[in-house]
Amino acid sequence: MVDQLPNRGRESEMLQEMGLQSMEDLFSDIPSDVRFKGALPLPGPQSEEEILHDARRLLGSNTAMGSRPSFLGAGLYRNYVPASVFQLVTRGEFLTAYTPYQPEVSQGMLQAMWEFQTLISELVGLPIANLSLYDGSTAAAEALTCAVRVHNRKASQPDTVYVSALTPPDKLSVMQNYCQGAEIDIRFIAHKEDGSLDLEALKAAAGSCGVYLEQPNPLGVLDEGLTTVKEIIGSNTALIVGVQPVSLGVVEAPGHYGADIVVGEGQPLGSPVTGGGPLYGIFACTKPYLRLMPGRIVGRSIDVDGKEAYCLTLSTREQHIRRHRATSNICTNETLIALMGAMHMALLGPDGLRDLAHRNMMACQKAKEVLSETPGVRVVHDAHHFNEFAIEVQGSAADCLAYLDSNGIIGGLDLGRWYEGTTNQILVTATDQTTLLEIEALSAQLAMWSSHSGVNA
Amino acid sequence: MSHLFNHNGAENTGYSQPAPLSSDAEPVVPKGLIRKASARWPRLSEPEMVRHYTWLSKRNFGIDTGFYPLGSCTMKHNPRVNEVIAQLPGIADIHPHQPEHHLQGLLSIFYEMQHMLEVCAGMDQVTLQPVAGAQGEFTAVRCIQEYFRLRGEDQRTKVIVPDSAHGTNPASAAMSGFEIVEIPSLEDGRMDLEALAAVADETTAAMMITNPNTLGLFEADIKAASEIVHQAGGQMYYDGANFNAILGITSPGLMGFDAVHFNLHKTFSQPHGGGGPGSGPIGVKAHLAPFLPGPLAARRVPTADELAQTVDEHWYHWEQPEHSIGKVQQWHGNAGAVIRCWAYYRRYGSGLKTMSEHAVLNANYLRHAIHREAKKAGVDHLFVDGAETDVAKHEFTLSMQPAKDALGVSAMDVAKGLLDRGYMAPTVYFPLVVPECMMIEPTETESKDTLDTFAEHFAQVLKTEPEALHEAPITTPVRRVDEVYAARNLCLRHPYDDA
Repeated sequence: MVDQLPNRGRESEMLQEMGLQSMEDLFSDIPSDVRFKGALPLPGPQSEEEILHDARRLLGSNTAMGSRPSFLGAGLYRNYVPASVFQLVTRGEFLTAYTPYQPEVSQGMLQAMWEFQTLISELVGLPIANLSLYDGSTAAAEALTCAVRVHNRKASQPDTVYVSALTPPDKLSVMQNYCQGAEIDIRFIAHKEDGSLDLEALKAAAGSCGVYLEQPNPLGVLDEGLTTVKEIIGSNTALIVGVQPVSLGVVEAPGHYGADIVVGEGQPLGSPVTGGGPLYGIFACTKPYLRLMPGRIVGRSIDVDGKEAYCLTLSTREQHIRRHRATSNICTNETLIALMGAMHMALLGPDGLRDLAHRNMMACQKAKEVLSETPGVRVVHDAHHFNEFAIEVQGSAADCLAYLDSNGIIGGLDLGRWYEGTTNQILVTATDQTTLLEIEALSAQLAMWSSHSGVNA
Repeated sequence: MSHLFNHNGAENTGYSQPAPLSSDAEPVVPKGLIRKASARWPRLSEPEMVRHYTWLSKRNFGIDTGFYPLGSCTMKHNPRVNEVIAQLPGIADIHPHQPEHHLQGLLSIFYEMQHMLEVCAGMDQVTLQPVAGAQGEFTAVRCIQEYFRLRGEDQRTKVIVPDSAHGTNPASAAMSGFEIVEIPSLEDGRMDLEALAAVADETTAAMMITNPNTLGLFEADIKAASEIVHQAGGQMYYDGANFNAILGITSPGLMGFDAVHFNLHKTFSQPHGGGGPGSGPIGVKAHLAPFLPGPLAARRVPTADELAQTVDEHWYHWEQPEHSIGKVQQWHGNAGAVIRCWAYYRRYGSGLKTMSEHAVLNANYLRHAIHREAKKAGVDHLFVDGAETDVAKHEFTLSMQPAKDALGVSAMDVAKGLLDRGYMAPTVYFPLVVPECMMIEPTETESKDTLDTFAEHFAQVLKTEPEALHEAPITTPVRRVDEVYAARNLCLRHPYDDA
């Protein structure tokens, strides 16, 4: 700890100058009845070397996805983040800065975030984007409360929103926590056999404050039906679309088919999976939502000399000004991860993004093709997929995944964790990092599993 | 100027990619979903991209650039080994839904961090899921809400907040559906027990307060406040933004609190990253533990089968609290930030108290040095302490009102003058209870020499001609930015040609 404290050994010199006798005098204002007696019951300090050693041992005991064939995605996607992104993002000027409250000395991050807003805006096809929320789930949750703020007065179903019945339960739980304070009722829209949205059932959502759907949906299905949703729900109900941002290299931007708000998990652009965080939430919208949207926004302005300059703007929506009337309580967001996203996007360019989307799509198509011919495996949805698709296996998904695991394969997500009645289904994910050999290994092991469980059954 | 959107090489892409898996087949997107016009992103080669972001970084000020006395933000040094650790594949390349036997190392670190925070805060159970301080506040308030609902005390609809509180406190409580009752502070900036007693009743769900308060003063009456709120049947919530002042000396538990959030990006050195990511774990007393978001890291004796995969004598696993409010983030929170803060904590271990002692030593020394240097320079009449006190804690406030009255020099002018001298400015105009406030927090990682030099510069800024100070800063990449212009002429993205 000495290496972190420049004034070790100078304490008495400093105290003396202040006319104090001991460190204890600095805490004379803390009553003895609230004081700790003795030292904290924790192990002693370690050196940098010892800490790194322990970190390597403990983290090294985790199973990294890259160490074996892995087909687990379900909202987070293994990707390749170019080396220059890591090199640049750890520059101390970015890494160790606070929120840019003093714009004169924060132009770098402010401009980078203004560029990020532009990159996201172009990606999703909407005019406005903020500079990130915590993750995809909180972005979706904030979109719902934002939609209610905007549409509640004119809504024939006030305080009501509709979400896809396929919304993963952990994401739904976040939505429920964010919505309960405003007493917002969350209702569900069913999907059909083939995984596409039930557009008949959707009619019930007209007149509500907002509808949340994903493209691709949580089971990887690309749903053309979403292009007609806005027509069905009408202009007084917000269409909120959650996206996997990489897919937008080949899939139409939701802003071009009527989405009012686009949210999503930004992770596949710029960030490793990192155990589920830190990530960054994408939030973009059209103009009617601007003044009631959550999160920080950078605007381009001028300085006193008329020179181009950037600063945070529309702050009157935020908690430090509006306190309990703020549009969100968010303060610290995910700026640095959004910066990684911006760097990755800048490196890709429009063609690179298309190529990356192609690679994800082709890996998924290849996996689907191979698994559909694997004995005992059935691809559940006859549809177009991006990144992932559901399969049905012999016996229980949990047992099948345990079998695959014992053979060195992370097989995917047990869909019994998400929905009722799908305990024999697995969500299989393929990304740009998936190889043909890995797909073949998965297929071979699934075939083995099928023959085993066939024998057992 | 370097502009990202001015880069438009004909074929440029910053990194080449391998061929797709089946190069013969074409990807199949439903016809109505094929993207027609691609995003108008720039086209940069790698050298152009690297130079652009390096240029931007040079127009940004971080702790690594210079002294960053931003009050309330605890801008301490961020040890670099933590960044090395966070890049290891055992954290960067793991998925939260992997089975427990794939994640024993992660779970053991989570368990260790929960335990350490429980010890430091005097709480019974910690969750690491909330990803920022404000989300921690929201999470704890939600737990308190469900606690009262289960007890049938639905009438507890109000949350008490002092007027000097961080804006996130009332915002987080309101987000959960609570009505906010704001109580005024006393003249000296401290909490008003009488005002508290007057509003605490059977409708009170909680009081949210930070201690030391936002003026950097320790609220010695805190136990009495806890008693008032508890007597009314409410819960005490501790805003951990100022935890850096008291680690190992006192704890929210000892002060009578029921719930607390930690800002790992303040106290435990997770880099602020220009505005995040953070991490905002919360700790609670046993009666609130069943309501925490899940899952939590837990441990037990390993079975015979598990022995081969253990990292120590325990088996670590996830556990779901009985009446959990559910989730506030879809996964396990900002695991990468937790790992960095674990590495930071290990550096101090039981010596965390020394860290807080030095934070408080530095704050008091800087306050002393500023007064000393101002006196020497004959400018000590231009400001007063924001609050009367013998000792401050990790931060202190100054009121520049005398400078404003005598010379027309505002706290903002002084802040901009400091920028010209190579410093980040202190927090200005917060807390609102101090007129023309400057809030200064040096942290424990600044040397005496840095503090002395800053104090000299502070006095010199006050000696500057007021006209010149109104013009400051003049040495920064841009000069004062017109925030009104930005709000009136909204330009939130590159206009391309369609502007």
